[in-house]
Amino acid sequence: MKKLSLLLVIFLFAVGFSYGQRTVSGNITDADGLALIGANVIAKGSTVGTITDIDGNFTLTVPEGTTELEVSYTGYADQTINIDGLSNVVITMQEGQVLKEVVITALGIEKEESTLGYSVDKIDSEELTKARATNIVNSLQGKVTGVQINNSSGNLGASSKMIIRGATSLSGRNNPLWVIDGMPFNNSQIDGVSAISGNRDFGNGAMVVNPDDVESMSVLKGAAATALYGSRAAAGAIIVTTKRGKASKDGGARVELNSSYRWDNMFVVPDYQQDYAMGSQAKYDSSSIGFDWGPRNVGQTVNSLPVTGESGALQKIDNNGVQDFFTTGRTLINNVAISDGNERMDYRISMGALNQTGIVPGSELDRYNVSLNAGVNHSDRLKSRFGVQFTKTDSKGTAAAGANDPNIIGLSSFSSTLDQAVFQPWIDDAGNQINQPTPTSNNPYWIRHENRNDRDDTRVLANMQVTYGLFDNLDITGKVGYDFGQDNRFITNKKGTAQVLEGDFLVDKINQTQFNTDIIANYGIDVNEDVTLNVLGGFNYNKRKLVREGLFSQSLLVPELFDPGNTELNVANRGFSEQALFGLYGSIDIGYKSWATLTLTGRNDWSSTLPANNRSYFYPSASLAFVFSDAFDLTNDMFSYGKLRLSYAQVGNDTGPYQLDFNFNPISNATGQYGLGVNFPFDGRLAFAKSNTIPPADLRPEQQTSYEIGAELDFFDYRLGLDIAYFKSENKDQILALPIPESTGFASLRTNVGQVNTSGVEFTIDAVPVKFGNFQWNTAINYSSAKVEVVELAEGVDRVLISSAFNSVQVVAEEGAGFELLAIPFLRVEDSLSTEFGGRPLINPVDGTRLAGETRTMGSVLPDFNMGFVNSFDVGNLNLSFTIDWRSGGVMKSSTVENLQTGGLVTETLGNREGTFIDREGVIDNGDGTFRENDIPLANAQAFWTSLDNNSVGEPFIYDASFVKLREVALNYTLPQSLLGDSFIKGLTLGLESRNVWLIYSEVPHIDPESNLFGAGQDGWGVERSSTPGTRSIGFNVKATF
Amino acid sequence: MKFIKILSLSLLVVFLSTSCEDQLDINTNPLVATSADPNAVLPYVFVQYSNRYVTELGTRILDVPQQLSFCYNSPARGNTSSFLTGNTWFMYYNQVLGNLQLVEQDAEAAGISNNNINAIAKVMKAKAYFELSCIWGDIPFTEALDGATYPSPNFDDQQTVFNGCIDILDEAMALIDAIGDASVNVGQGDLIYGGDMAKWRKWANSIKIRILMLMRNKDASADSRLAAALGEPVIETLADMAAVRYLDTPGEAISYERFVSSFFGPDNESTGAFSPSPVSFDLMMAKGGPRANVLYTDTNGNGAADIGTTTPNAATNAVVSNNIIRRDYLHVMFLPSEISYYRAELGMLGVTGDDVQSNFDAGLRSDCEFWGGSGPGASGLISAADIDDYIANYGTVTMQDIHEQLYLAGFMRPVYSWNTVRRTGVPTMEDYPGTGISSMLKRFDYPPDEVASNVNTPANPPTDTKMWFEN
Repeated sequence: MKKLSLLLVIFLFAVGFSYGQRTVSGNITDADGLALIGANVIAKGSTVGTITDIDGNFTLTVPEGTTELEVSYTGYADQTINIDGLSNVVITMQEGQVLKEVVITALGIEKEESTLGYSVDKIDSEELTKARATNIVNSLQGKVTGVQINNSSGNLGASSKMIIRGATSLSGRNNPLWVIDGMPFNNSQIDGVSAISGNRDFGNGAMVVNPDDVESMSVLKGAAATALYGSRAAAGAIIVTTKRGKASKDGGARVELNSSYRWDNMFVVPDYQQDYAMGSQAKYDSSSIGFDWGPRNVGQTVNSLPVTGESGALQKIDNNGVQDFFTTGRTLINNVAISDGNERMDYRISMGALNQTGIVPGSELDRYNVSLNAGVNHSDRLKSRFGVQFTKTDSKGTAAAGANDPNIIGLSSFSSTLDQAVFQPWIDDAGNQINQPTPTSNNPYWIRHENRNDRDDTRVLANMQVTYGLFDNLDITGKVGYDFGQDNRFITNKKGTAQVLEGDFLVDKINQTQFNTDIIANYGIDVNEDVTLNVLGGFNYNKRKLVREGLFSQSLLVPELFDPGNTELNVANRGFSEQALFGLYGSIDIGYKSWATLTLTGRNDWSSTLPANNRSYFYPSASLAFVFSDAFDLTNDMFSYGKLRLSYAQVGNDTGPYQLDFNFNPISNATGQYGLGVNFPFDGRLAFAKSNTIPPADLRPEQQTSYEIGAELDFFDYRLGLDIAYFKSENKDQILALPIPESTGFASLRTNVGQVNTSGVEFTIDAVPVKFGNFQWNTAINYSSAKVEVVELAEGVDRVLISSAFNSVQVVAEEGAGFELLAIPFLRVEDSLSTEFGGRPLINPVDGTRLAGETRTMGSVLPDFNMGFVNSFDVGNLNLSFTIDWRSGGVMKSSTVENLQTGGLVTETLGNREGTFIDREGVIDNGDGTFRENDIPLANAQAFWTSLDNNSVGEPFIYDASFVKLREVALNYTLPQSLLGDSFIKGLTLGLESRNVWLIYSEVPHIDPESNLFGAGQDGWGVERSSTPGTRSIGFNVKATF
Repeated sequence: MKFIKILSLSLLVVFLSTSCEDQLDINTNPLVATSADPNAVLPYVFVQYSNRYVTELGTRILDVPQQLSFCYNSPARGNTSSFLTGNTWFMYYNQVLGNLQLVEQDAEAAGISNNNINAIAKVMKAKAYFELSCIWGDIPFTEALDGATYPSPNFDDQQTVFNGCIDILDEAMALIDAIGDASVNVGQGDLIYGGDMAKWRKWANSIKIRILMLMRNKDASADSRLAAALGEPVIETLADMAAVRYLDTPGEAISYERFVSSFFGPDNESTGAFSPSPVSFDLMMAKGGPRANVLYTDTNGNGAADIGTTTPNAATNAVVSNNIIRRDYLHVMFLPSEISYYRAELGMLGVTGDDVQSNFDAGLRSDCEFWGGSGPGASGLISAADIDDYIANYGTVTMQDIHEQLYLAGFMRPVYSWNTVRRTGVPTMEDYPGTGISSMLKRFDYPPDEVASNVNTPANPPTDTKMWFEN
């Protein structure tokens, strides 16, 4: 009976539509004339529509009176085509100016941008693969508002740290959540060894994502945007959507090839001096490498040349031989993808390879990606999709940074008269180290080629989802994802390495897994002509587990036999943690006449890491999108589009696992200065010690409240666009190990404390300033500022340690300020004591050197603003694009500059080398409340420069970290179709590309101002020490489609 | 077909929704304990204390009392870095006193059977507070280790701390005296004496005497208390000495040796990482007798390097010999000679009736035996005949001699020798080149972490401000 009724209804409709209808056919192509398959064609004012076939053709029977067709295709601008009196139309779709751009929002939900009440930035695949970065995080540099990216060094596989809209967390939870095809995945970095005793940067988790596989990345910035992800996205979210299969334009399989070959060289070379030789007090010393306070180099003959010990004339080595040591690195990136698809199913298989040799001798990295993304529309109601990304990364011999590790080679390890060739060979036939500078220091090639710093990383990201349409307007989606990472690290010091003469090795195996599932029900309905309603409800379960096991073995009997049976001492260690989270969430989207959308969301999480009585927490959000240009019909030739955004959100946040109980920990090592530990069992005795943190009595979830107001405006038929936003967030009740007086017997108390406010302005200007004939200039300027203010910490606590570095340098959160660099300054005359001498450094009357003052904060380590300037010029098939990245403000302490200057290695140390001089900036305290100009001579320049860091003073090596960089340039030529003819090559683009092209402006001498000691694992901006020099890459690229 | 799909989806929902609470009750770390046996905590306290002491103070401030000519990252010019002060403060208060406090509380709750554990914890506690005050002067004491009552402990003056330490030591000795027959076995945890509580009592009393010797410059009651304490058991033989004995195995070696082998070269004699100052070297050569050639090597006959002069990687001057900078050297905490010299000093002053010469000679003999005789300092390098000759030919003892020998006994012992110089003024320190202070360093600045978190931290006096106990 039901079937009969249905047939009757269909019949009636069919009769109704048949009456007075006519047929229109046509062909839809892109700007190159290539057929677009699956484009939607709808008779305007009706529900009648169809899609194009593999040739881009369609035939549609439209109701009588229909005068226009609405045509849409993902990634192209919608069009309305006049068909009045026509039966056949040819339609060319345009990329670029997308009027109803669709973006991927939280939980992978596609929404029209016009309905969003919060800010979302989208980066498409073309931008990501333009001068491809080897770490996908770096692809966003300069291109997204509100995002700050630090790539830490030029080391192969170096990590990059991203924060969105400044730092809000005092406990290190400032990293955005990464999600790939709906599955959260791990972007954490687990430090290798320690920043103090030699940092080994093994990258950040997201770098396994292959840019060639990415269709788009959405950057969700405010809490309203990420509310449905819950607490884990409190610092923003990066939503990665991978490419799906589509057929080639002739309907067959589509094969894409993308290959780049690049040469990498030092980005910044220190301004080394060549006038004075190695040594001290103007006396030549062949062992004084990195300390060029010797005599003037006039080519004189010396008895003992460095390393060889032979007599001979001193040479002047260009740039101290630094470019002989840091050689040209090579990067080869290949990707081939095969895809196909039709209305029923699609699949895409991609294989990528990154093969690199670094500028650091002996370093190499190979990364292989294999990915599959496939989906099937089983029926109108049932769809399924699954994806797998498998990544294998194998790096060898990457560099160490920091200090207290014999394997560190910084830019201050070179001398003006030291030819790197003298270090060859570094090993004799018996396996002994030879050609050492001194018996107690290492041949740099020995440590580069004989000591290992290897990583073997396997990563699998798998996801599956099934959507079933229960009713026409209600569907249910189940998603399951698994992130598996096995990171095996192997670090050795070969027997015979100075400072580790007996040899040692470290095995470090880190297994991280994450299981995530969502079940989402979605109901959408047009309530009436004006009002639409979309209701979503969901359930989330997330579990993360970390297992870390390692072995540190010392004193090898047989060299290069890295087995615990071959060592005198073996210390094993083990770490384990797991945490789980359940979430229930829902959202309601109420749309009115397509120009107003109110979105309300709510989520309740239950976290395993919080006390049972406080583990449940709810947080709401509300956002409003108001397209006032449509509401008030304001569009005209000048004004194309106007939208206001308003949002408010609260986000709760849990904490890490195992922070609620008081524990005694088994101890394997009694710590000491310089990394000199003593191991347990000691004399057969085990050791346990209490934890240093008092566990919380009644921990509550953190609470972040954020507000955002913004506007999107387009002018001149969308040729000029402006997106502006103001945001503010208040992060209260932070869960923090609050430092307490150590005289209480404990170091910290875990509790809810403090408030950090972050506010800022963002704007993006998109424009097509010039467009005539086949020439077009597209430009975009993005600007973002984020002011971070630590409003309060706790009673009696002025500052909280964020990261600790060397020589009394720390990054701290200071009440009333922000994330600040803490260091020891020079002692200066207080302004209140003398108007004439106030602010000038006080001089030690005994020896004429500057005195040290009390430790204080020296400025924010975060920038005042970031700006990007993205340009693209098209002339026919030729495209030139470049990106300029400007970071303004923030300070950094560079120990490399410190060592270059105190070592007399750089040109600014050339003055006053011979004879006494007076530090004219200094002032002498007469001891009676008066001061006088410094009149105490220093023996020479060496006395001045080497005394600058006496008593761990850091001030002279702290710089404004602002910079302007030409981040990337790409020149591409796409061969016209006419040249390719009927060959099997469907498209071919040849290009030249370069990354980190030009350091246009920097206040920091001698080094790349982006260099950072801490990597992505810590909130440790603003400190650099012996980082691997950053690189400039230049190469070529071939993209082909078959 | 449709049914199967719906069933599959339903099963998925059920599968994912089960046992939510069980899934959340996973927040207990499986790799840690909620309580600990003192036999496992005490080894941590001893070794952590010793290794931080050796690596922080031993490698960095031995040039302050000019036992060495130069230390890397030394505060001798007047500035005490936040790492030196912070690490040392953290070790004493958190790693040592924090753990001892818990051991002590458990032992007190357990009663008389745990008197031995309680006493050990108290002796180490008194020693830690005493050394803290020797380094910083005023420190949190009466309000320390009780964050619930005193979240920002006030600082007590040195006299209060010293008297308080003596009280703790008296309590420890009383506990030992009251030990019954059924004490728990602390042999495994007691790295110093293997559970021999008679030796602990001697050490407790000896520390008390050391404290009173510092106090007697300023506290008139000290002399009578000294006389009384010297009448009770004290450390008077090398068998009773207090030390952490390191081992000749990797991972269990003293960090003096590892400092050299890790950063300089195969051994100290070829690298000179530890080199005596002219003050200590010349005094040892003149007055140290047969010890001198055991403790120092001067291959080139150049004598000691100038104060403040580093001789990295080149042992051109006198250096501390490999007899000392070796894996199984000791972290010396109390030598019997110290008591002998105190007896000689107090006898000479008439505070006690102890014989000056015999006690002085006993001190010389004990030191020679420790560093070259049958003692563990550097065993078998000095003959008994040489020791006899040295003592016989030393001559009549003076107060200067006593103070000099107390100083020489402070070889490679940073706080002890610093205390000796500050108390006695012997030997005379040379000017440290480039110093920013008017005298030798007298105290550390308070560590920034305590300053930042404790509102009651006093302002730092200049680092050449004398300690209360100094004249």
